[in-house]
Amino acid sequence: MSDTKRIVTEFVYCLLLRGGKMSPPVLYYLPPSPPCRSILLLAKMLDIDFELKIVNILEGEQLKPDFVAMNPQHCVPTMNDEGLVLWESRAILSYLVAAYGKSDQLYPTDIRVRALVDQRLQFDLGTLYMRLTDYYFPTMFIGAPLDEGKRAKLAEAVGWLNTILEGRQFSAADHFTIADLTLLVTVSQLEAFEFELRPYKHIRQWLDRCKDHMAPFDYEELNANKANMLADMFKAKMNQSAG
Amino acid sequence: MDFYYSPRSSGSRTIIMVAKALGLELNKKQLRITEGEHLKPEFLKLNPQHTIPTLVDNGFAIWESRAIAVYLVEKYGKDDSLFPNDPQKRALINQRLYFDMGTLHDSFMKYYYPFIRTGQLGNAENYKKVEAAFEFLDIFLEGQDYVAGSQLTVADIAILSSVSTFEVVEFDISKYPNVARWYANAKKITPGWDENWKGLLQMKTMYEAQKASLK
Repeated sequence: MSDTKRIVTEFVYCLLLRGGKMSPPVLYYLPPSPPCRSILLLAKMLDIDFELKIVNILEGEQLKPDFVAMNPQHCVPTMNDEGLVLWESRAILSYLVAAYGKSDQLYPTDIRVRALVDQRLQFDLGTLYMRLTDYYFPTMFIGAPLDEGKRAKLAEAVGWLNTILEGRQFSAADHFTIADLTLLVTVSQLEAFEFELRPYKHIRQWLDRCKDHMAPFDYEELNANKANMLADMFKAKMNQSAG
Repeated sequence: MDFYYSPRSSGSRTIIMVAKALGLELNKKQLRITEGEHLKPEFLKLNPQHTIPTLVDNGFAIWESRAIAVYLVEKYGKDDSLFPNDPQKRALINQRLYFDMGTLHDSFMKYYYPFIRTGQLGNAENYKKVEAAFEFLDIFLEGQDYVAGSQLTVADIAILSSVSTFEVVEFDISKYPNVARWYANAKKITPGWDENWKGLLQMKTMYEAQKASLK
């Protein structure tokens, strides 16, 4: 085979491997961040080889001019896929399935099922994950005292998830979807924070199911260990306050 | 198609405008949240989270306004203009919908909503988040006529519902020229704007009543 033909063949092969893309997508992230963890887990499931760039938001790196120029909202995760710059982890999840998924399994095209997946994604962002951050993060980052009212709101949201999961194997479909993925990251973070999950039977059963499903995709390394890292930060702050 | 809603609710108004854009008739069932109508057993069966809006379409119950909006467009849209099939365009619309939910609308709920309910505004930190949300939106709209792409989409409709809510509580939108320009146009071209404004006038009445009670 001539050099030219070999180079062209390799080039075409690389394009096919990358779904017709010239270069791998870039992910700007911070490993312990729950929304970033969901993207890393999905990347592992879909065999996406991200170019990973850590942005240490604790050091204010997200406010550097070049990052703000790319994402004026200066948050992580942010993805750049050949010029498509995207943030909001749940928008990134659905995009990645559409662009890189070999099937629609993780984000089904059936209109009703997809609507339920969307509803669960939005429940996670606007209710469950938001109430988790409202309760734990002020303590974790600035040592604020825990607020019992916020704990009650969080428990209410956990209760809703438990009700949603009653009689279901997974949160939105009869199989694992990106709704389960983002909810798994949130609930596993609650578990790491030692939020009492014993009263929520359906969540516990679903959580075990999801962990089993994700075990082959570096779940421990990409998610569980990082959830514990955040929990350790939280406990250290709690101990400081108590001291 | 049963639609459980409150005319004051931002999410409800989003769906009313989306339905209008699609030429859909909604069987509207108003729930008076202040009187606890959303906690009745028959509604809890439909939506254990007892939130509005909730849509029931041939036995299929769905809540979260942005999920409902996309569902309606995908199921009943004559074309994909409000939510294009192209993955990149769709991704940007989704990003804006999540921005609306987690940043813009959330900032309203944390700063202004407590005032409407109790006469007590959120704190200074909450107000900074309102300003930050509008600054972000202003940047998104730099050189753009629409919030996500080159045509009206569900993202414009959801964000229109949120931005118009800020107008009612006298937030100064004019400080954000791109938002103000987009808003003036969106009011003109979005189907169902009149009904959106009608619902907002009910909220305005509550807002004014709270203001008066503090004098």
